[in-house]
Amino acid sequence: MNNQPTGLVLSGVSKRFGATRALIDGDLHLRPGEIHTLLGENGSGKSTLVKIMGGVHRPDSGTVTLDGVPVASRSPRAAMDLGIATVFQEVLTAGSQSVLENVWLGSHGIFRRAMPRAEQRTIAREVLTRIAGDMPLDLPAGQLSLSERQSLCIARALVRKPKVLILDESTASLDVGSRDRLFVEMRRLAAEGTAILFISHRMDEVAEISDRVTVLRSGRTVSAVERAELSIDRLITDMTGNPDHDATRRQPHEPGEKILQGTALGLAAGSAPIDFELRSGEIVGLAGLEGHGQDLFIKRLAGLAPGPGRVERVLARGPEEVSERNGNTLGVAYLPRERRGESLFESMSIRENFALPTLHMHRRAGLLDSASIAKRFEAFAHLLSLRFGTAHDAISTLSGGNQQKVLLARWLATDPQVLLLNDPTRGVDIGTKREIYAILDRLSATGMGIVVLSSEVDELVDLADRVLVFRDQAVFAEIAHSGLSTESVVAAYFGQKSEVLS
Amino acid sequence: MNRVLTLFQRWPFAFALLLALVLLVLNLAISPSFLSPARLPGTLATLAPFVLVGFASTPSLLAGGIDISVGPLATFINCFFVAVLIPAGLGDWQLAAPIVLAVAAGVGALNGILIAVVRLHPVVATTGMLFLLVGLSLTIAQNPVAAPDNWTEVFAGGVGFLPGALITIGAAGLLWFSLRRTAFVSNLLATGESDVSAYGSGVNVMAVRILAYTLGGLFAGIAGIALTAIVQSSQSSLATTYALLGLAAAVLGGTSLAGGRGGLLGALFGAVSIYLLQQLLTASGVAPSLIQFAYGAVLVVGVVLGATLLAPRLKRSAS
Repeated sequence: MNNQPTGLVLSGVSKRFGATRALIDGDLHLRPGEIHTLLGENGSGKSTLVKIMGGVHRPDSGTVTLDGVPVASRSPRAAMDLGIATVFQEVLTAGSQSVLENVWLGSHGIFRRAMPRAEQRTIAREVLTRIAGDMPLDLPAGQLSLSERQSLCIARALVRKPKVLILDESTASLDVGSRDRLFVEMRRLAAEGTAILFISHRMDEVAEISDRVTVLRSGRTVSAVERAELSIDRLITDMTGNPDHDATRRQPHEPGEKILQGTALGLAAGSAPIDFELRSGEIVGLAGLEGHGQDLFIKRLAGLAPGPGRVERVLARGPEEVSERNGNTLGVAYLPRERRGESLFESMSIRENFALPTLHMHRRAGLLDSASIAKRFEAFAHLLSLRFGTAHDAISTLSGGNQQKVLLARWLATDPQVLLLNDPTRGVDIGTKREIYAILDRLSATGMGIVVLSSEVDELVDLADRVLVFRDQAVFAEIAHSGLSTESVVAAYFGQKSEVLS
Repeated sequence: MNRVLTLFQRWPFAFALLLALVLLVLNLAISPSFLSPARLPGTLATLAPFVLVGFASTPSLLAGGIDISVGPLATFINCFFVAVLIPAGLGDWQLAAPIVLAVAAGVGALNGILIAVVRLHPVVATTGMLFLLVGLSLTIAQNPVAAPDNWTEVFAGGVGFLPGALITIGAAGLLWFSLRRTAFVSNLLATGESDVSAYGSGVNVMAVRILAYTLGGLFAGIAGIALTAIVQSSQSSLATTYALLGLAAAVLGGTSLAGGRGGLLGALFGAVSIYLLQQLLTASGVAPSLIQFAYGAVLVVGVVLGATLLAPRLKRSAS
């Protein structure tokens, strides 16, 4: 081996969280002096890889070396001491602390300051000027804009003069001016020999700044492309892997009349308003990279989040606005994303979990008629082919997929016409997933209108009649059934409209 | 009006300071000799345990936790010194002071380890510690034992011009303000404000938390000495009196229960306010049963003001 530093090398890295294999065979070679982009859709393992490099997680297997020396970081602190500075996806600032304190946060020892205060000020000002323009050092960080706070987090990494700089979606909340300044700074640092790992969901940025691109798919590294060979089509194909959906795709039913409509729904200040309508018998998919507005949109449809515009249930007697309280009476049911916390009562029994919102239907002289609840539960358990010991068992004894079926049964028991599902198959095994798809297909055949938000592209392609892809808090593309494919959805995730759309 | 509000927001303890000043004026109106040089050392000595227990509650609150056991720790230190150390011939200050402070800091550190390493909820860990300390105090000194003449008397009286209570309060204050000059307080505040940010930025969150509780324990140890100075006996029964007083003082002084905001000055003015209120009510002949009621009322009003009107309107972070 020569003395040339080799940079950060990850090979065969894997990481498992419970039953989920977040990273199966991650390979990445980050050379000194290059700007290297890591690309992949939701759940491809990007964040896990970043957190392994940043010292938050430790890999279950595989090796990580920096300039040939094995790296075993037990904390972000340990990673930083090795010269790996990570700007995490979340904007991490301490709001009531000053800008100066925030820039140097974590650089100090427990008692010992990294350097005298005057020197801290000079360096902080210099770095902040380069990437964000003038920023008052003594202002509490909480009073800054989101873009400024993001710049602050980047400055925090830069003042450490790292050998390896990791920017995880750091441009997502930067305004255009700051982003341009950051790109200039990235090029300068790369020229000085810093290895930079860049993650972004904007293809234009990726194309502009990358020296090399590594693509992850379902926890595996699928390709590493040099700048000269870079093409957006190729990257999108690598991200999706050309799966075959001909056998599994669902054929839409003939849609009936309009049952739900949203008018001029705004998801954020300044974002384009969204008009939406759902017809009976339809299954509409909502897609997007995490945090692009689809989650808020489905909550708006359920009447659970306030905002500009209105959502109305179209009934024979005329439209009625959907609100937090009247979901049951209007026949709108919403299944939240987080089973734990948002909808599951873990210490209660399967049947209690099922019956909670419909208890009023089982009253006799003001008391609960448990025989009638049991009967109704049996009917739904059969319909959804629920597998359980006895209905009195705690719901926590069920698998994730069966828990989800119980919750689905809970809301189906309210006899809804509109079913809103927020990522219903998250953490559900593939067999149960197929069963849930079949149930949804049967329900839509009976005239129910269904909206499914999903973080899995394959699921939407198999299930939906049409898919709305969200980007920056607005609908970026609406893909009809004929144009629906993993490529077209993923391309829209990254801001590309492929030919099939136009 | 807006300028006043800005002032309150800049200095979280401003409300307690103002309250303390108003109460001081009222006290002087009722009893003009309240601040006379003859009474001052005694007054300050009675005040000192309040202030120090308030100090002791502050670091854990700043770290985003809570320590309910500091008051009982102070009374335990009192019993330990009077009923164990003095009879054992370890009553000299050269020996007793380091022992007492080390024990107190050790109890604090134990709290910190239970919370930061074993990951017990702070309320659970320190409530457990509270009962443990109350039980220990009762075991070693069931009935009050009078203390023989000893060095703590200095803190009830004075050294030359200097009221002795200023030494105990001053020592704790000095320690805190020298820590402010290190990175520790920044680390502490950042950990309390957002432990995710602090951890992600490379702060050793675990060590900072343990040290916060240790520092609280140390302050409680000094409070124990200040308490011994005025009672000159072992008073295990005082544990309940001081149990929540420290928290009340800190919170009234603008230290946030959510962590990350506040400081020792807040606890000082908060404790002074509570003490002055007590004096005022006693001097004006209010029934003792109503004094607790008044404490509660002032505390609730103070916290509500602090939480709504005076808290800075920081922009909510979207992420």
